[in-house]
Amino acid sequence: MERPSPSTKSPSELGIPNVIYRWDLDKTYLRTDFDTFMSLVRTAFEDAEDKRTVPGAATLLRELRQSGHGRARICFISGSPRQMRKVLTEKLRLDGIEFDEFVLKPNLRNMLTGRFRALREQVGYKLPALLAGRAGVTAETREVCFGDDAESDALIYSLYGDLLAGRVDRTMLEQVLRSAGTYQDDAARTVSIFESLPHSEAVERVFIHLDRKSPPSKFDRYGERLVPIYNYFQAALVLFQDGRLEASAVVRVAVEMVDRHAYSIEALRNSLQDLLRRRRVRIDTVNSIGRAIADGAGERDLLPALGTLPGTRDLLRSLASGLRDLGPLSEQELGPPPETGPIDYLAALADLPRRHKRK
Amino acid sequence: MSGHVTENHVAKSPITIVVDAMGGDHAPEEVVKAAAALSVEKPDGSEPLHLLLVGDAPRLHQLLMHQRYDAECLAIHHASQVITMEESPREALAAKQDSSIAVAARLCSEGRASALVSAGNTGAAVLSCLQYWKRLPGIRRCALAAVYPTEVRRGEKDDPFSLILDVGATLDATADDLVSFAVMGAAYAARISKNPQPKVALLSNGAEAGKGPKEVVAAHARLKELRGLHFIGNVEGVDIPRGVADVVVCSGFVGNVVLKMLEGVSETVVRLAHYAYKEKLMWRAGLAMLSGGIGKLKDLTDWKQYGGAPLLGFDHLLIKAHGRSQAGAIQNAIKVAKKGVASGLLPDIERGLREADLPQALPVGQS
Repeated sequence: MERPSPSTKSPSELGIPNVIYRWDLDKTYLRTDFDTFMSLVRTAFEDAEDKRTVPGAATLLRELRQSGHGRARICFISGSPRQMRKVLTEKLRLDGIEFDEFVLKPNLRNMLTGRFRALREQVGYKLPALLAGRAGVTAETREVCFGDDAESDALIYSLYGDLLAGRVDRTMLEQVLRSAGTYQDDAARTVSIFESLPHSEAVERVFIHLDRKSPPSKFDRYGERLVPIYNYFQAALVLFQDGRLEASAVVRVAVEMVDRHAYSIEALRNSLQDLLRRRRVRIDTVNSIGRAIADGAGERDLLPALGTLPGTRDLLRSLASGLRDLGPLSEQELGPPPETGPIDYLAALADLPRRHKRK
Repeated sequence: MSGHVTENHVAKSPITIVVDAMGGDHAPEEVVKAAAALSVEKPDGSEPLHLLLVGDAPRLHQLLMHQRYDAECLAIHHASQVITMEESPREALAAKQDSSIAVAARLCSEGRASALVSAGNTGAAVLSCLQYWKRLPGIRRCALAAVYPTEVRRGEKDDPFSLILDVGATLDATADDLVSFAVMGAAYAARISKNPQPKVALLSNGAEAGKGPKEVVAAHARLKELRGLHFIGNVEGVDIPRGVADVVVCSGFVGNVVLKMLEGVSETVVRLAHYAYKEKLMWRAGLAMLSGGIGKLKDLTDWKQYGGAPLLGFDHLLIKAHGRSQAGAIQNAIKVAKKGVASGLLPDIERGLREADLPQALPVGQS
């Protein structure tokens, strides 16, 4: 049999992404309330038009897509049942979000085959789905993951990153899957995909949207890579610092939050101070954003892109002066730096609410 | 989150309350706990509330990291010094200009916040306000007000408290001062207790207009003529717990003595009940049967529910929480401060003072 000759095309020409943005949906992208049975039922029967986006999330996603110049891939992975695909994709279409992959949970199949544990269990569902998503990308492809504090996203994304980096081995993976109560066939599949992948420091950042306002200290164990965020302005600031977004994109996220979701400049300023205190953005990052907004170049670059939103000029000025009002935070006024060192996944799993682990 | 989804609607500026995070017996732990809890509390339809915690920034940050809080509504401002409860206010304030209470008062004067809450050293709090804040036109002396549970309930909220002022900010009060206290107390009762026409009385040693020291007699004559104020004349000490008046006006010296005596009586009653409980089985059984009612009475007289004492007469509002306040009491104090700002208490006081046509304020430092 004749083997095809190796391609001489570049990864860009082959459409291989250099960055993947992986998003959870409920409580991360969508403002979903399923904390009670009634709200769960209501969510299941909502139309696309009734679903609400977390402030700033849609603009951030569009900006991330655009910033990749055709090489940024957007992938959704959600615990919602596959039967919701139509309404969820319609919602994303209404928000102007283009995506490349949309993974939903086979809840009906799980029910029909009596795999009831899999209905709630997330590790055995999301982890193999994430690992499988690495197929067809190069080891150099970086990833940024977005989840929330409602379930086990922090653990899953961190474990995923450490598996890809080779910091967690097969034995530990098997132990975690066993402790999480993953069905044996799912566990075997997860291990098999893991062993087929090359090692690389692929996951550069994990954002956890604090929908439930969990104390940030709860995520200290996951180290510097994981950033708990209260809103997507905070995420945009970190992504700007990471070189993933331009200053103008950060401002567009802020403008969406102010203009469409009634955020005050004070709320944005407090959010920024929170990140500074937690040492998740540096003061020079804030200064450079402030300069970009305050100087003429900022307005020149930003205003055409912002269109004719009312009060945009005033908003930019207020934001710039708000950043100045933060004052010169000295080193001694900041909190301690995030923890470093290996993550104890079994301990992290043990600390999750009961439904994520085997009794 | 201050950004509730209201499409295409620009947010109103939030009400910002500055909190002296280092003041009080249980600071900063309980203060941070209170602020964090309030930041995630979003009552429907209420004005957004932002809190600015002032104190040892790294310590406050560390405490905050272990709480559920909303970063959008909370900020920290560093202050390197603390004035303790035991320190002499004047000397401590002179020596510690970067103390949390002084910085908090300064932030208000710079327009960063509308009101201040502190559970710390009362004298230092009052002096800090005096240093950084302006007195309202017509105010010569400010007044510290306190609430006291009464038999009679009042206002839209069926409030079981009457307001007594001054309880210690101004020891000697002139007739003008007493008139301004009456105006401020009436505005406070109207706005905070939602009692639109509070009954205002002067504390004296007899109900007759001519009874009492000369400044009380003069104030009586002035208040009787004041339009828009429901002045009911003089009341005696015995009328305070009865709730004859909604606002009781007196000098700081008298008010402080009255307040301490009322507190002493409450504590003595509790001690007597404890004594009875230990003394006889029959009394113990009787007290056990009454425990539900005693519990309700205790709730009624519990200072933690009051929300602190307002300092009135400045262009900003200070709510002085009890030094022993824990998170619940501090939350209540912050809520009262927010209510004062949101309801337009200070503009209301200013309006009342204009109508009272009082002489202008003394130069700064002479209060």
